[in-house]
Amino acid sequence: MRIEPAMNAEIVFTREPIVIPIFAPVSKEIGAVVEFQGLVREMENGGTLRGLDYEAYEPMASRQLERIFDELARTYPIAAVTFIHRLGWVPVGEASLFLRVQSAHRGEALAFCGHAIDRMKCDVPIWKKS
Amino acid sequence: MQIKLLAFAQAHDLLGFREREIEAAPEETPRQLMARLAPEFDPKSARAAIDCNYHDWDAPIGADARELAIIPPVSGG
Repeated sequence: MRIEPAMNAEIVFTREPIVIPIFAPVSKEIGAVVEFQGLVREMENGGTLRGLDYEAYEPMASRQLERIFDELARTYPIAAVTFIHRLGWVPVGEASLFLRVQSAHRGEALAFCGHAIDRMKCDVPIWKKS
Repeated sequence: MQIKLLAFAQAHDLLGFREREIEAAPEETPRQLMARLAPEFDPKSARAAIDCNYHDWDAPIGADARELAIIPPVSGG
């Protein structure tokens, strides 16, 4: 599903391997682009994995993410955020998460990216199972 | 009134269903509902959400509630 709220946030859940969208700056004021990918690791909690199985409560996850992005944008004013989370089986070495943040300066983009991931890990209803 | 009860991740494993229609009264709280429907469930193990918003276990669900979700600790990313 795909939701595009007012603050130029794109939130996507996909059951296919994540395809990183071709970058296009949202305006000529963009001076910083921060991208993050979260990959499934082989070693987790001392055990060896083949992959992880992800599930989400998608409507609520989208709503929570919109809320988190809106809140963070008040402190770290950015121009755009793209969030893609893969669901279902994700093999070791493949990305479960992609985040791209665009802003005028690097400080806001870097801070927004880090805080967005921290907040997601606390409040966004997405689960992984080995 | 009828609402949908959704159980995710460990709550799904414990309760044995992902989605179920249940009878509920607006003044009932999520804690009361779960005690009635699944006494083995421990509310300390999860958060409750009504219609995609986190909801206090002890606050009435209200007449507009359509969906009660049981949200175990999340682990996205």
